[in-house]
Amino acid sequence: MIVRKLPDSVVNRIAAGEVVERPASVVKELVENSIDAGASAIQVVIRDGGRALISVADDGCGMARDDLCLAVERHATSKLADETLSRIGTFGFRGEALPSIAAVSRLSIATRQRDQDSGWALDVDGGHKGEAKPSGQADGTRVEARDLFFATPARLKFLKAAATETRHAVEAVQRLAMAHPEVGFFVGDGDRPLLNLPALRGDAEDARLRRLSKILGPDFARSAVAVAGERDGVRLGGFAGLPTLNRRVATMQFLFVNGRPVRDRLLYGAIRGAYQGLLPSDRHPMAVLFVDAAPEDVDVNVHPTKAEVRFRDAALVRGLIVSTLRHALAGTAQRTAVPVSMPAAAAVTARPPADWRAPLAPRARDRVATPSFPGLREPLAPYDLAPSAPTADWPVPPPGEEAADPEQPVLPLGLARAQLHSTYIIAETADGIVLVDQHAAHERLTQERLKRELAAGVPARQGLLIPEVIELDEGRIAALEARAAEFEAIGMVIERFGAGAVIVREVPALLGTVEVSALIRDLADELVDDDAHLSLNERLEKVIATMACHHSVRAGRTLSVSEMNALLREMEATPFSGQCSHGRPTYVELSLAEIEKLFGRR
Amino acid sequence: MKLTLDHAALLKALAHVQSVVERRNTIPILSNVKVEADSEALRLTATDMDLDVSEATGADVAKTGATTVPAHTLYEIVRKLPDGAQIEIETASGGQQMVLRCGRSRFTLASLPVEDFPVMTAGELPHAFRLSARDLCGLIDRTRFAISTEETRYYLNGIYLHEIKHGGADVLRAVATDGHRLASVEVPLPEGANGMPGVIVPRKTIAELRKLIDESDDQIEVGLSTTKIRFAAEKAVLTSKLIDGTFPDYERVIPTGNDKTLDVACKAFSAAVDRVSAISNDRSRAVKLAMTNGTLVLSATSPDSGSATEELEVNYRGEALEIGFNSRYLLDITQQIGGEEARFSIADAASPTILQERGDSGAIYVLMPMRV
Repeated sequence: MIVRKLPDSVVNRIAAGEVVERPASVVKELVENSIDAGASAIQVVIRDGGRALISVADDGCGMARDDLCLAVERHATSKLADETLSRIGTFGFRGEALPSIAAVSRLSIATRQRDQDSGWALDVDGGHKGEAKPSGQADGTRVEARDLFFATPARLKFLKAAATETRHAVEAVQRLAMAHPEVGFFVGDGDRPLLNLPALRGDAEDARLRRLSKILGPDFARSAVAVAGERDGVRLGGFAGLPTLNRRVATMQFLFVNGRPVRDRLLYGAIRGAYQGLLPSDRHPMAVLFVDAAPEDVDVNVHPTKAEVRFRDAALVRGLIVSTLRHALAGTAQRTAVPVSMPAAAAVTARPPADWRAPLAPRARDRVATPSFPGLREPLAPYDLAPSAPTADWPVPPPGEEAADPEQPVLPLGLARAQLHSTYIIAETADGIVLVDQHAAHERLTQERLKRELAAGVPARQGLLIPEVIELDEGRIAALEARAAEFEAIGMVIERFGAGAVIVREVPALLGTVEVSALIRDLADELVDDDAHLSLNERLEKVIATMACHHSVRAGRTLSVSEMNALLREMEATPFSGQCSHGRPTYVELSLAEIEKLFGRR
Repeated sequence: MKLTLDHAALLKALAHVQSVVERRNTIPILSNVKVEADSEALRLTATDMDLDVSEATGADVAKTGATTVPAHTLYEIVRKLPDGAQIEIETASGGQQMVLRCGRSRFTLASLPVEDFPVMTAGELPHAFRLSARDLCGLIDRTRFAISTEETRYYLNGIYLHEIKHGGADVLRAVATDGHRLASVEVPLPEGANGMPGVIVPRKTIAELRKLIDESDDQIEVGLSTTKIRFAAEKAVLTSKLIDGTFPDYERVIPTGNDKTLDVACKAFSAAVDRVSAISNDRSRAVKLAMTNGTLVLSATSPDSGSATEELEVNYRGEALEIGFNSRYLLDITQQIGGEEARFSIADAASPTILQERGDSGAIYVLMPMRV
């Protein structure tokens, strides 16, 4: 066997395997270059899913002739001024993207620096560099990659349908666009536009939200809360969706570290932790979060496409995300996701006018199944009209007086006016009505109360007569040991038991007889996977949730006006009261404006 | 097959066997009960493949034979027939149906061939001994509450029955534990049980067995091998597989050096625990026992509903001590203690505590404290 050094063309193709996985990676690398070049408008064209042509044109700083020739060489970059890798402020730094793309496609670059009279163009064909020629390029740079992967047929075979590859490419641009509202992005497939995001000026936060609303849809902007926090020089910004705005998959969570889109398990785990107890475990929140840290505190040189990063102090970042999100969401007790009320309103408007003739009379065809005995029927009294039953606790002034009285405290959930079907409370607010699901609301209140009580007391721990020995690998044992003190605080006593095993001596009494080994294995997996330990809390919360459910006012129970008002006031005072533990809203709001729309007054 | 018998006799036998049959089965014949007539008796048999119960009852048999019919349906029918009625059972349509007549009621049940009914082969049962029904009930009743339901530690899902030497005598001991508490009850070793293997009798077998026997002086014949056990009473026979596992070395967790003893009047103590625990509405149900010379103070607190204390006069000498327990566990154990006085042997607030009936060394209960 002979050991030989691989020729450069092969080395480049191998590197391309890491960096250029699919057309979307090419788009991502080129658009990042454009952003690094200070472009304010970037145009992308993707033909045949990127197989035929990927073209990225920007109005950035451009390159001089010598730079152009060097740019397609491996490990050539303008982005590292000196030789330190610890202060990386740009997207790129490895100097691998262009040569990698050049190695697997027919690449042509045309560029002109802003203050130069003429530009230069260069062709690289499957890694073979041509001569730089003068070109009539406008300011900025245009990179075109044709016949992608023609040099690596194996990779070509693994490409998906053109539409799929196009979608991935558009998503890559969307992710970058979220972090850069000041840059305009346009993506087309040569015939029609696929994405058009004009550059947004003005206040950075406002611009960011408008950009997100353009990408994620108007629902997100309406149901998101701004997030802002800082700890030891690490800043967190962005927007978190309300728990009621949830999805079945976690793909609607976008994370950026210093403007770079990442998929980092630590960060995803932190989001999951922050929403714990607000969503069922199989639903995922929507969030767009930006972490900004000093470049030397983040190692981006972990992954060839930089999808993962490493923080110098991971626990700090995790803590920052969890506490900031919790804080932001706790402030939203009085908000549910707006879209909930919209379909409801739409359903009302969609009704044909004929049905409106006698909306309150029971319609014959709805009642076919119920034999009716008119003689025995009690008078219909569906509304407990509040004004007829004012009580000493909650005097209900006639409408109109509230506004006149300046002493009247502001009640975001308004005053209870009626109970419908012994299940829903209708309250009147300053600018609309609120419809509350009494069981869901009370369940959440009870749950929060039980949680507070639990947190206040020292949890009881049941000793195990026969301590359970669980065999685990050393990594998992170390992870469990590191958190042993935390577990003990919630009532779980874990110790190392020789090599390759842990022993559980006490368990939280609240859990009753649990399958200890399964619980510990889950915990260990979570600790190793994303440094979070949700299982134990999840189990405890589940017990609490069940208890809360049993101790709450059920649907079907008639409430007096003072009871209803007491419930509304407690909801106003309780964090997270906007949704029940399953992430469903506890109340919906219909503004006067929306009501007026229903009646065509607007 | 054709026979006539009393309603009461059929109902009793059927009630004993039908609960073995699972409500949902993937193998249709397992939903059925085998109905078999020999010259003077009707024998009913039901099985879930792990456990097989068979009971005979006297009948006026006109024609011998056998068939199988849905167990729960047959039970429902017989349960609803009037007391004191005579029931006539007959196979029809060449064995594809069984007809049941009673007064002016007539039921036709679809049958499945008796040849398809799984027969549990007990194999050879090399160890055999006789035990009074009263002793067997005692072994079961005083330990079964501690059987674990946790499926990962399947070897705790039953009662461990084994031969052991205790205080110079050979005894047959039953032990059950769920990892939080342990119950151990023994009777003098019956003749013939010497050299028997230690076996774990599954929870369902225990429950079904207990339905078949009552506390009398009837002798129960027990036969066992390392994989099967058979209990034979006068009319009923129960054969079951055993749990294939190793019961933990439970003797290690029974402390021997607990030096503090607390004697309480069992009934009064149990009632006090029950009252005090009413305050703790969470699932942990913790009660605290604070003992000083001659007095025991039971207390419970709940952040939600308040607190409760109750004082009891007890026999305790020694330094003041506080220890917490799950009240449900305490009640489970005090219920098993039949006598007047119960004795706690305690080491400290974190170590296993022993409970016993005073003067009865045949049953001991070990309970792990709760830290509150």
